[in-house]
Amino acid sequence: MSTVSIAPLKLQRSGRTLPVAQLLLLFAGLGFILVVGLTVESPFLLNLAAYTCGFALFALSVNIILGGVGEVPLGHCMFFGIGAYAPAIAMNNAGLPYELGIAMGMVVAAVAALLIGWLTLRLTGAYFSIVSWGLSGVAMVTVHNLDFAGGALGLFGFSRLAIGPFDFSTPRTYFLATALILLLVLVILAHVRSSRFGRALESIRQGRHLAQSLGINVFRERLKALVLSAPIAALAGSLCLPFSQIVTPEIMSVLRTVDALLAVLIGGTGLLYGPVIGSVIFTVAPQFLNFDANVKVLVFSLLIIFVMMVAPGGLHQIFKALLTRLSRSKAGQP
Amino acid sequence: MDLFVQTIINGLILGSGYALVAVGLTVIFGTLHIVNFAHGAFFALGAYGVLLLQNTGLGYLVAIPLAVVGVAVIGYLLEVTIVRRALYDRGEHGSIIITFALSQAIVASIILIVGPDPLPVRSPFGQTAISVFGFFLSAQRVFIAVTSVIVLTAFAWWLRHSVRGQQILAVSQNAKGALYSGINVPFIRSFSFLLGISAAGLAGALLAPLIAAFPTMGDANVIVAFTVVILGGLGSIGGAMLGAMVIGLSNALFETYVSVSWTPALGWMLVIFVLLFWPQGLLGRAQINRH
Repeated sequence: MSTVSIAPLKLQRSGRTLPVAQLLLLFAGLGFILVVGLTVESPFLLNLAAYTCGFALFALSVNIILGGVGEVPLGHCMFFGIGAYAPAIAMNNAGLPYELGIAMGMVVAAVAALLIGWLTLRLTGAYFSIVSWGLSGVAMVTVHNLDFAGGALGLFGFSRLAIGPFDFSTPRTYFLATALILLLVLVILAHVRSSRFGRALESIRQGRHLAQSLGINVFRERLKALVLSAPIAALAGSLCLPFSQIVTPEIMSVLRTVDALLAVLIGGTGLLYGPVIGSVIFTVAPQFLNFDANVKVLVFSLLIIFVMMVAPGGLHQIFKALLTRLSRSKAGQP
Repeated sequence: MDLFVQTIINGLILGSGYALVAVGLTVIFGTLHIVNFAHGAFFALGAYGVLLLQNTGLGYLVAIPLAVVGVAVIGYLLEVTIVRRALYDRGEHGSIIITFALSQAIVASIILIVGPDPLPVRSPFGQTAISVFGFFLSAQRVFIAVTSVIVLTAFAWWLRHSVRGQQILAVSQNAKGALYSGINVPFIRSFSFLLGISAAGLAGALLAPLIAAFPTMGDANVIVAFTVVILGGLGSIGGAMLGAMVIGLSNALFETYVSVSWTPALGWMLVIFVLLFWPQGLLGRAQINRH
C-alpha cells in the first residue's frame, strides 16, 4: 500500500523568510472580519457567517489529519460532538457557565484523543479509517443511552451562551468572537506548520518508513497531531452550539465528518486556508440554493467524487491547470 | 438451557446472512484492493429492489433474482463511470473517500425516491415458524440460511473449479503476474466488483423481510461485514465465512444475555478490538499496513 498522499505539497519555500506576506494575510483577514462584522446588518447572515467560522475550525482540525498526517479520519465528529455536548451538559445539568463548558470539552477531547490515538494510530490507511468510523458509531450509541445527555432527544434550552461580556445571542458579537478565534487558530496552525514538528509530520506523510529511518518517532508525531486536532474540533463543536441551539446524538454521525472532509477537499488539503475557503463554499452555498437536506447530501457526495477524480488537491488545482494551459497556448502562438 | 440453544441457532442463522455480505466485501478487497465503504448501500439497494418489484405485483421469490440483477446493473453503471476511472491502482485515501461518498449518494437517492420511512417487505415465509426438536425457527430465517449456504457453496466451488474463478483467485494473489500470464485483468476486476456487490444485493433482498427496508439499513450490516472480513482476514474467503459465524454467534449471545439497546455498539467495538489485537485476522496474510 502506498502512502502517497492525495495532495503532494509543493516544497515549502522556507516559511520563515516570508513573515511580511503572512502579516499581510493576517491583517487582510482582520480587516475582512471587521468590515463584515460591522457593516452586515442581517442577523441571519451574521449567524450564518459565525457558524461558517465554527465549521471552518472543524475543517481545519480534520485537515490536520487528512492533509497533515495523511489518513482519512472518519471519527472526528466524535471530538466535535464532545465539544458540543460538554457545554450543553455543563449548563443544563450543573449550571456551569458556557466558557467553562468549552474548556472542559477541549480538555476531554484532548484526553480522548490521547487514549484513542495511543490505541489506533499504529494502524494506517483503510484500517485506521474503519476504526475511527467505528469509534464514532460507539460514541453515537453511547450518547443515545446516556440519560444525562438527553437520550435521543438531546439537550436544548440553554440559559446564557456568552463568553464573559461577549453575548453569543447577539449575532454581531457571535460572529466577531468566532471569527477572531478562527484567525487565532489559523495563526497557531501556521506556526505549527513551519515548526520542527510540522516538518516532521510532513516528512512522515510523504514517506513513513523513510522518516522512521531518519530517526523521527513516527507514532509519537502522529499522536501529537491527533492530540492537537481534537481540541480544535471540540472548540468548533462548542462554537456551533449558539447557531444550532440543540445537541442531539446525530452530531456524532459520520455524516458530519464527511461534510468536513468535503470542505477540506474542495478548498484543498495542501493549503492552510484551503479548509476555510472550502467551508465558506460548503456552508453558504446551500443556504441560498434552498436545498432539501437529502438533495444536499446527494449533490455534495457527487461533488466529492468529482473533486477526487478531477482535482484531488482541491478545486484551485483546476484553475491552476486552466491558467497554465491558457498561458501555454498564448506562448505557443506568436 | 433452551434459551441458550435457541440463541446459538439464531446466531448461526444470523451468521449465514452476514457471510453473504462479507464474502462480497472480501472478494472486492482481494481483487481490487478497494475497501468498499459503499457495500452497505448496495445491500440496501437489494432490499429496495425487492420492495419495488413486489409493488409491481411480482412474488418475493421471483423478485429476489431480478433485484440482484438490478443491483448488478446499477453497479456496472457506477463501475464504468466512477470506480474504473477513479479507484483502480490509485492511492488508498482516494478509494476510502470516493466509496464513502458513493454510499452517501446512494442512500440520499433512495430517500429522495422512496422516502425515509421504513417499509415492510412481504415474504411468503412471513409469520410461519418451523419447529425442530422443540426449537422454533422463523421460516424466513431458515430460508436465509439455506439460500446463503447454497449460494456460498456454489460460489466457493465455482471459484476453485472454473477457469473464470481461478482467474479471479490469480488476480487477487498477484495482479501483475496474472496480467503477464495473459489474463484479462481489467475484465476480471470489473467482474469481481459486480460479483461482490451482487452478493451484497442478494443479502439485502434476503434480510429485508426481517428488518424492513430503510435507507440506512446497510450501515449496521456493512460494519458487521467489516468485522467479519477483518476477523477472518481481509481478502480471505474462507476467513469471511468463519468470521461470519463467530460474529453472528456473539451478536446473538450479546442481544440475549446483555442488552438490546447497546447491541449496535457491539459491532463497532468488535471491529476496533479485532483490528487492534489481530490486525491480520484469523486466516489472513500478515499485513504490511501496520508499523
